[in-house]
Amino acid sequence: MSAPVRRRSRVDAALAVWGVLGFLFLFLPVLVIIAYSFNTGRSMMVWQGFGLDAYRVALSNPAMTGPVRVSLIAGVGTALVASVLGTAAGLALARRGGRWAPAFTLLLALVMVTPEIVDAVSLLPWFVALGSDLGLRVFDVGQVRLIIAHSLFATAVVTFIVRARMAGVDASMEEAAADLYAPPMRRFWGVTFPVVRPAVISGSLLAFTLSLDNTVISSFVSVSGSSPWPVYVFSSVRAGLRPSIAAMSTLMLLLTLVALVAVALVLRRSGDGSSKIAETLTGG
Amino acid sequence: MRRRRVGEGVLAVPAAFWLVAFFVAPVALVVWYSFGYKPGLFGTHANDVLSFGRYGEALNATFAATYAQTLQIAVIGTLAALVIAFPMAYWMAIKVPPRWRGLLIGLVLVPYWANFLVRTLGWQIILTPDNLLSRMLEGVGIIDGPLAMMYTRAAVQLGVVYNYLPLMILPLYVALDRLDPALLEAARDLGASAWRALWTVTLPIAAPGIGAGTLLVFVPLMGDYITPAVLGGARGSMVGQLVASQFQSAQNWALGSAMAVLLVLTILVTVGAALLSILAVRSVVRANRAVRLPETAGAAA
Repeated sequence: MSAPVRRRSRVDAALAVWGVLGFLFLFLPVLVIIAYSFNTGRSMMVWQGFGLDAYRVALSNPAMTGPVRVSLIAGVGTALVASVLGTAAGLALARRGGRWAPAFTLLLALVMVTPEIVDAVSLLPWFVALGSDLGLRVFDVGQVRLIIAHSLFATAVVTFIVRARMAGVDASMEEAAADLYAPPMRRFWGVTFPVVRPAVISGSLLAFTLSLDNTVISSFVSVSGSSPWPVYVFSSVRAGLRPSIAAMSTLMLLLTLVALVAVALVLRRSGDGSSKIAETLTGG
Repeated sequence: MRRRRVGEGVLAVPAAFWLVAFFVAPVALVVWYSFGYKPGLFGTHANDVLSFGRYGEALNATFAATYAQTLQIAVIGTLAALVIAFPMAYWMAIKVPPRWRGLLIGLVLVPYWANFLVRTLGWQIILTPDNLLSRMLEGVGIIDGPLAMMYTRAAVQLGVVYNYLPLMILPLYVALDRLDPALLEAARDLGASAWRALWTVTLPIAAPGIGAGTLLVFVPLMGDYITPAVLGGARGSMVGQLVASQFQSAQNWALGSAMAVLLVLTILVTVGAALLSILAVRSVVRANRAVRLPETAGAAA
């Protein structure tokens, strides 16, 4: 009897070691970036000494704060567009509208599985065609391009999150409100929206962070003078990386984490388990 | 009732319009470009003569080698992520006390939400010759000289496994979270070996998670452009870079479009083939099991 028990505990110990090593692996490069944000050297790669110089440089250099501002505005714009479009589409899908639903779901799935590089190279000529050839000048504006480009994937994510939220809710509440002669807008704000609110909040925060993270599409569609932060970093890879990039990245990570914790708190308050939260946060 | 239904469908129209205008139309435009050609030095594309010529060009020896290398990196990367993630997800979902699980999920997400490019730069620092890792490995005597992993295919392989690992862990965790440990105990009490319990109880429950994770890792990995651009150098290039360079430096949109279409087709064919082989294996396993059941019953009696 004792042999299998001992063997099982050995398996458990091995699993625990594997798990801890896995987490170390996941955190290693992030911790390295945070550590090197305190590097006082000229190059990010070569450690010189400990100091806060990089943070001072990062926050006072307009060449760096500019792209960060572009990123934040694009993030807010993406969150707004994706949450409005995605919430409406998610509600429509949750009520199983009819024959269009499978086709629409397929479209959303295609948006999610298409590699970013393909979106990037197809949006660039498209914006050029709309802006220069058709003379729709709005598509020459860097921020507009970024928000449109980032909102595609994010809209699909918000749609699936809202649909998942509404899946368990039956339509009888809304029907009751309708039977009591509540007008459509009143029905939406009074009955439907309170149910989907956690999904909308977490979806829009996700859209914000997705926009903040996007490098590939942004580097194709952005207009010079309004490059977002990741594009600035990507162009610095060739030009030479400074510790100030690590410093600004650390600050951006902090911002993302605050958003993430906010999402988790919203979801937890609405009663989701850790598994459900994981599903939501990965856009599944 | 009928009018209601139409009313709710209308809510999907803005999103559908948005996606058609900025996803379907641009991708269709790229497919159209892929049948054209590059007119002269300064043009990017022309479509007055249509042909499959760019596809032939995109499949010449140099580019085909990059396609093969990309597919290899993606398949190895996906399998490596699965091998690393499965015990982690199993440990998190079954062995760790429930109150710690939410925290661990959060910890998986922290590096995932750190900027993709910045994480990759972290690996660049780690792999730079003469930095800490290089000196440690030299000190132990594993390597005799500065670490020479930067700008190799191995660095890209490591980078992609790292970058997509959370996308494998999370769906596996979600699937394994549904596994009741009592089922495993029951299997063991009935005399199943640990491997048999893993094979007949755990894996079937984890299967949807394995499928979702494999898809979530493989698809973006095939199109990755950042990881090879930062870690790969000339020896570790992937299709994403080929496509990008045709649009940016070479200014040959026709050829770049053909490459992009081929990339999407490669992904669809690989995923389709994987799904078909899984269905085939499953039906074989089912058939075998149906035969074997009465035999084991007989042996027990």
